[in-house]
Amino acid sequence: MGIKLYKKPKLENPMMFVGWPGIGNIGLIAVNTLKSIVRAEEFGEIESWDFFYPRKVSIREGLLEYLEFPNNKFYYQRLEKKDLIFFVGEEQPTEGSRMYARGEKAYKMANLVLDVGLKFGCQRVYTSGACVSPIHHQMKPRVCAVMSSERIVKEVKKYRNTILMSEIEGRKEGEGVITGLNGLLLALAKKRGLESICLMGEIPDWLSGVSLPYPKASKSVLEVFAEILGIRMDLSFLDKMEGQIEEIIESFYSKFPHEMKEEYDQRKSVAQAKPGTVTIQAQIYIDDRFKKGGDEGGERPI
Amino acid sequence: MERDPFEIYESPHLKTPSLIVGWQTQDVGKLGSKVIDFLKEKLAGREIAEIKPLGFFSFGGVRFKEDLVQVPESKFWICEKNNLLLFKSDEPEFGHYKFLNALLNFAERHLQVKELYTLNGTISLAPHTNPRRVLTVFNQPEIKNRLKNYELEDMTWEGPPAISSYLLWVARRRGISGVSLWPEIPFYLGPREDPQAVKLTLSFLNRRFDLGLDLGGFDLEIKDQNEKIAQLRRENAEINQYINLLEKGHRLDEEGQLKLAQEVYELLGKEE
Repeated sequence: MGIKLYKKPKLENPMMFVGWPGIGNIGLIAVNTLKSIVRAEEFGEIESWDFFYPRKVSIREGLLEYLEFPNNKFYYQRLEKKDLIFFVGEEQPTEGSRMYARGEKAYKMANLVLDVGLKFGCQRVYTSGACVSPIHHQMKPRVCAVMSSERIVKEVKKYRNTILMSEIEGRKEGEGVITGLNGLLLALAKKRGLESICLMGEIPDWLSGVSLPYPKASKSVLEVFAEILGIRMDLSFLDKMEGQIEEIIESFYSKFPHEMKEEYDQRKSVAQAKPGTVTIQAQIYIDDRFKKGGDEGGERPI
Repeated sequence: MERDPFEIYESPHLKTPSLIVGWQTQDVGKLGSKVIDFLKEKLAGREIAEIKPLGFFSFGGVRFKEDLVQVPESKFWICEKNNLLLFKSDEPEFGHYKFLNALLNFAERHLQVKELYTLNGTISLAPHTNPRRVLTVFNQPEIKNRLKNYELEDMTWEGPPAISSYLLWVARRRGISGVSLWPEIPFYLGPREDPQAVKLTLSFLNRRFDLGLDLGGFDLEIKDQNEKIAQLRRENAEINQYINLLEKGHRLDEEGQLKLAQEVYELLGKEE
């Protein structure tokens, strides 16, 4: 199982940002967007064949040309105030038909990502994903945080629009599970002595099983990234995608019966502690084309 | 260092044999299984090793088919006289790269295999009355050139890869030349057997390795199958019309394809 580095940039205590596909692709869009905004440069990859079945073969006139695997690439950039490493994976390694990372392969991949971070002197890792919450889709998603140590709590609490998991309504104990590689990486980073923070954009619970991106939450996460890095970001280019997704979600919402709409709309004024009946009922109004199968992922209370 | 996941019963000495691989999962027209089983029987194949299933197949229970328990198998046989190594296996459920490397580790390290052949049926929309073609995928131009006089047809394809293409790719990375044989099988014979495609594949191997195999038995099977379908055409005007359309080069709509496939499946299942 190999890491391939095309170059060895000189970096000073870089921060690492890691993104994988997941619910609403919130983390992946956030990390990919940040990577593009700072114009990070590719410098390495994790060889895919140990982790994934190829997704495409090209055969021309009887000759096998190439196999295409999901990419797992490293990028870097030196900003004025901070050096950065990015890792973007196009799929989560898993076993069997599961959608989210689990098992030996996931453990190995998370460690390879950290190997590269540590090689370049990285001390802190950010991952990002979805926080499935009983919120209204018209509200601005908050960013929920889980971190590796008490020492960072104060700092994270200062980030705007960010709350700790224990501060979320109904989650007084702050207990829960972060599934997939976001959770695993957090744990392994802590074990290997790195600070790690997972920033999760909220997504309405009834939309967590929908195969649509949720850029609205990615935007919230990106605003926090901008604050962490002390940079200005123009995120208006995400508006078009956000508008298209909103239109689809509004079309589901418009089909809600009056009573259900009333109950759901209460989410706008009163923070909900737990998913209500609307969480289940709303699934009925999601167009079949956008329903996805597979196991559940994301971050949920116990 | 991680241990190789195979169990070796015997370490024979062959002189750079060729490796022939058949998959018994998604085995269209049972082509892979039938060809390997035939070679095993006629060339006195001896089982010499297997890849252990742990790490490649899930063991959350057991699969059964037609009331019989199915256990995943991945076995090697040698045909000493003909200098061939045969491998028949279920496709792994996970750990594909490791599995394919284990296969080639055994073949290369223990027997110095230099050439690989994989067997697979490919679904065709042509009728059973048309001659079959053998479509091929090579992993190096050199082997393509070596086999240019064998009446093989080049395949062109972009999409999800079959495990044989993955194996060819892994073999190329290790410097082993290889070819995947994809004889065409009419779609309505895919779930059963296609003796004509099996015979065509064996004819190629017979010629390539000078095996001296008598393939006459397949002519009877082909004749028998053709007669049964001819009888069905006489009795069922709709089925006859579907096959007529295919013979004229037309495509059937989804409903027609399903109906034809179902009728032929039931017909050929009666005597199995």
